[in-house]
Amino acid sequence: MKAPINIDFNQVKVGDELPPLFIEVTATAVVAGAIATRDFMPVHHDRNYANKQGAPEIFMNILSDTAYCSRFLTDWAGPEAMVRKLSIRLGVPAFAGSTLTYTGTVTAVSQIGTEGIVEISLRATNDLGDHVSGVAVIGLPTSITST
Amino acid sequence: MNAEQYDSSANFAHAVAALVGRPVGSGKASVAPDPVNQPMIRHWAAAFEDANPVYTDSEFASGTRFGGIVAPPLMLQTWTMATPMITGIAQRGGAPVPSEGTSPMTVFDEAGFVGTLASNSEFEIMRYLRIGETVSATTIIESVSEQKKTRIGPGHFVTWVTTYVDDSGDTVGIQRFRILKFKPEGAPS
Repeated sequence: MKAPINIDFNQVKVGDELPPLFIEVTATAVVAGAIATRDFMPVHHDRNYANKQGAPEIFMNILSDTAYCSRFLTDWAGPEAMVRKLSIRLGVPAFAGSTLTYTGTVTAVSQIGTEGIVEISLRATNDLGDHVSGVAVIGLPTSITST
Repeated sequence: MNAEQYDSSANFAHAVAALVGRPVGSGKASVAPDPVNQPMIRHWAAAFEDANPVYTDSEFASGTRFGGIVAPPLMLQTWTMATPMITGIAQRGGAPVPSEGTSPMTVFDEAGFVGTLASNSEFEIMRYLRIGETVSATTIIESVSEQKKTRIGPGHFVTWVTTYVDDSGDTVGIQRFRILKFKPEGAPS
């Protein structure tokens, strides 16, 4: 595993884009996410049940959505980052067999003491539209600088 | 009284207004069945292919500002999820365990708002959890909207607030969760 890199707060600017994250929403990914978050709702692991509910496939649970959002944020910001706020609106479902693309943009930068505060607007889209849209706030130690 | 009469009566409005401030479920705190632990964190990190080493690499984590392994912040909700009774889960509509008593949310079902759709999830994280800590959660109904017309049918947005606390009772995170209880369009109301 390559050494994780912490972003330098002092160089973060409004308008910066986060590297996109692509998630292949396979049936395995849906089930793995549901069970790892201890969500046993049958719509997240039983296709017959999902069909009876009017869904063409099993679909991702919300706890997986928030999990991927936090991964998307810290993949970019690094292991010293602290996710302080995550506020998402749910749109179209993420059915097994689709692909999600996470994108995000820095919308505000501020500082509280030695903590750098970065606000990010983010969304996850698939071929049906916006699956998740929202805002996040992360904290970064201002002491970490990229030499 | 059938659902139609109930809906049309003022009783429904009163019942809905009375929901605000009420706990969801028994009112007792849901205590995590297990303390924050490495196996569940590793399982979670693998499921989402999250390679952040502060979750799984104790040597690395001890050199960070966290000073050791921490739980993924958005795993907060996972710790207090009910241990499911697998048998009959589909027959219970996905409820992990047979319900104890009546949920306050049955007010909506009785009035024909039988559909449920999650719409928002908002987390505020005060601090990251360490291995060995036990989380408890209490959930209160914060607000109920007026009836709204939505593309899937008329409904009410219901917002729950869950407060997660540590062993000392200090708040470690707050979650606002909004669902739409709706009358499926085309369904007999």
